[in-house]
Amino acid sequence: MPIEPEIKSLSYGRRKGFFLVLVVVFILALPAFIFYTSGYRLNFDNEETSIVTTGGVYITTDNLGVDVYLDEEKIEKPRLFRSAYYIQNIENGLHRLVVQGEGLQTWVKVLPVDSYIVTEAAAFNMPELPHIRPIASRLNLSGQGVYVVAGSTSTPLFTKATTTGNFVVVNRATPASLRVNSEYEYTVDLFATTTATSTSVFNRLEEEIEKLSTVPASTTATASISYIEQGNMRLVPRGEELSARWIGDGSATPHYFCAPAQASSTIAFRLGMHVMLQLEEQRLSTTTPLHTENNRLCRTEIRLDRKWQKIKYYEFFPQSSDLVVLRLEDGLYVTEIDDRAWQNTQLIYPGDKFEVRVTDTNIYIKEDGMYFELLTEIPEIN
Amino acid sequence: MSTARLLLLVSLVLKGNINFLKVNYPPKLALFNNQNAVYSQVHIMEEQDKSHLLPYARRADFKVGRATELSGRDRRLYRLLEIIPGALSWTILVGMIMASIYAPFFAAYFIIAFSIYWVLKTIFLSYHVRYNWKRLKHHMKIDWQVLVRRFNYEHFYHLIIFPYYPEPYEVLEEAVKGLLNAKYDHKKMIVVLAAEERAGAEAIGYAKRIEENYGHHFGHFLVTTHPANTPGELAGKGSNTHHALGVVQREVVAKYNIPHKDIITSIFDVDTVIYPDYFNCLLWHFLTVADPYKSAFQPVPLFNNNLWEAPALSRVMAMSSTFWQMIMQERPEKSATFSSHSVSYQALYEIGYGQANVVSEDSRIYWNLLVANDGKFDVVPLSYPISMDATIAPTLWGTIKNIYKQHRRWTYGVENWCYITYHFIKNKKIPLKRRLSIIALQGEGYSSLVTNPILLFILGWAPIFLGTREFHETVLSYELPIMVRNLLIIAMGGLVVSAIISLSLTPPRPEKYPRFKYLVMVVQWIMVPITMIVFSALPGLDAQTRLMLGKYMGFWVTPKRVNVK
Repeated sequence: MPIEPEIKSLSYGRRKGFFLVLVVVFILALPAFIFYTSGYRLNFDNEETSIVTTGGVYITTDNLGVDVYLDEEKIEKPRLFRSAYYIQNIENGLHRLVVQGEGLQTWVKVLPVDSYIVTEAAAFNMPELPHIRPIASRLNLSGQGVYVVAGSTSTPLFTKATTTGNFVVVNRATPASLRVNSEYEYTVDLFATTTATSTSVFNRLEEEIEKLSTVPASTTATASISYIEQGNMRLVPRGEELSARWIGDGSATPHYFCAPAQASSTIAFRLGMHVMLQLEEQRLSTTTPLHTENNRLCRTEIRLDRKWQKIKYYEFFPQSSDLVVLRLEDGLYVTEIDDRAWQNTQLIYPGDKFEVRVTDTNIYIKEDGMYFELLTEIPEIN
Repeated sequence: MSTARLLLLVSLVLKGNINFLKVNYPPKLALFNNQNAVYSQVHIMEEQDKSHLLPYARRADFKVGRATELSGRDRRLYRLLEIIPGALSWTILVGMIMASIYAPFFAAYFIIAFSIYWVLKTIFLSYHVRYNWKRLKHHMKIDWQVLVRRFNYEHFYHLIIFPYYPEPYEVLEEAVKGLLNAKYDHKKMIVVLAAEERAGAEAIGYAKRIEENYGHHFGHFLVTTHPANTPGELAGKGSNTHHALGVVQREVVAKYNIPHKDIITSIFDVDTVIYPDYFNCLLWHFLTVADPYKSAFQPVPLFNNNLWEAPALSRVMAMSSTFWQMIMQERPEKSATFSSHSVSYQALYEIGYGQANVVSEDSRIYWNLLVANDGKFDVVPLSYPISMDATIAPTLWGTIKNIYKQHRRWTYGVENWCYITYHFIKNKKIPLKRRLSIIALQGEGYSSLVTNPILLFILGWAPIFLGTREFHETVLSYELPIMVRNLLIIAMGGLVVSAIISLSLTPPRPEKYPRFKYLVMVVQWIMVPITMIVFSALPGLDAQTRLMLGKYMGFWVTPKRVNVK
């Protein structure tokens, strides 16, 4: 039996040695970690290893079933927050982003990426073919909409759309077995109301001028005009054009309203000639002046792409202040306010003989005396 | 609030007599407020005979418990020291929020540095735990009785004091039975069941029953009753022990003329159940250490008496406390006594048996000894276990509340930092390096206990939510959470070590519990981030804030349950 325990306590020297090793690790690791998180990367591409500076892209998508491509390379889906992608290690310069999915329209943008900075973008992908949910005046006992037609029941009712809602078509209704659809009544009321937005931009402008001429001189013009607003974004008609105006605090101006304070040619190259021209235009304007935020020039307004057509109706896309629904001459479109490189504008319902109403949550259409909701996401089919 | 009013408020807080904070002075203190020294009646009584005390222990302010017991400059100094820990912790936490808002880049770099520090600290501490675990296992296999036999030890007595408040009879019985299982001559044991008068006749009756049933096995057996409402005392374990030691001196030590140097005192929480060789292990260390009369002996508290009964939350906290003590076993120069521990009777006698007016009496007794001995007093780790109860209650919510209150009491140990610093300023005989080192180490310990978990798991994300827009657009802002998350995952690797060691220290599974519970005992460690915040940081901040505002805490007795060991 030994006269004392064989395992001695940890000696001070050994502890101190281990501690010093960890101190050295800390001293070496700290700058490496700080540089890494700031965007510095080691580049092994060339024969000589070098340090490069990188930036990133943060892109959000409305649909989960889409793929994101950066410079034609598919980006792996993030594990968490599946609707947002953070793409790191991107070198300085212009990069092409594509977001696409089966049955969806493609969103494309060329964006500049700067070292140490993350460029943000929000993609949207509307269905290629319209998806609708019919709203019939009567429902049968199982809740299906019932349409009463004079001719053959096999003639398709909604030719432009891929219908997703169940409904039945009959020649003669049996009143005892049907009940009134309250949503139908709500929709009829919605279209019965002639809102300011249901008129064309021209008509609306005329109305506003008329209002201005009848108000007392002491009343400010803005007090009598009711603009369409969503959050801090306002839609402002100017002649045939429609602009989106940021009316919130300057420091919270959305990033796409701003451009780095660079030479005009650089801005034109990075963000597009139209952005540069708008900046120049607003630099001289007293009604839409430029302002500076964090060394960036920020516009007050962004003109929306109307595809050289007349705007018949406009409204914010439901629950969005970045997207606008435009009823143009050949159909209904959704466009983004973000005009870096260009504005993605996607057709969501073709034609020129329909009426549209947008509520806080839905888009309703009336065509050929029938009402339906236009779905902007492809519903999952069970 | 005007500057003048603010200054007045600060001045009142410093003096500790601001009314709205409801600082309650014992009425008697009014009598002594105009004197330049100390004052509680207990201290006054002790002044009757201080000849046996060490020179520094004769000072009137040696046993100061709080600023209100002092007067003049000393009182202001002590009050300032009471404010510093809480103020520092709040400054760090609020500073982190402010930095996140106004200097997010600096805050982000700090968080990265802090996360790396945390990973390295985890590695460092895990190394200590693992080493001590190895040593603990080795010590448990040793036959200490054989090791002790080479010394002349027969004249040594073990004085064992169990201070208690109302406890079930079974808890007292298990504690005493544990002594009977000890491989040591029971006739060389002086056992004291130190009851509280305020616990009532029934609780005192339990002790009498124990005395009747088991007293004859031991050399001496005393049941003491600590009087309720003793002026100048803080009701709790400290004052009870203090009283019991006085009775032992009168009824046993003086009466039977036992040399003080031949008595080793063990002050045990009443739920303490010793392992059979504890007293031999203790004696061996006592006989082999450089200066046994200038040493306190610290076992490893395993809170495993009722580990199978306890909910996962309680088990994690219990084992975490054990791990911390295992770490301290490997760096004794940084530690103090905690919970159940042992020390020579001679050392206690020389300081007048410690303090009766503090909450954290288990550590304070060591600081009393260190200060009184001019810095020449050490903690000797035994690396030998004792078993105690994990905190539980009949309901989960009750358990949560009990754990919180227990940890608030433990973290109120920050009052010791004030005591140490105060006396380190006064006692210049202690080497300056040691004074500064202890002040810094203890201060860092109490500060990190409160701030580290909150910084790491909550405020680490603050720059992302509170930072400027300029910051939000940077790679740093996006990479920060990814980096911190990855570093924390690495740090969580330390939990694997914890889970393995914890299982090895778990008592055998009672048949009524399924084997599946072993799996639960491994998985439970993922709760650590939550337990660190809820049961370390928050009670610690609570305790420091109370001390800072002069809302002094009393002693909260952790309810014990029946031992099932």
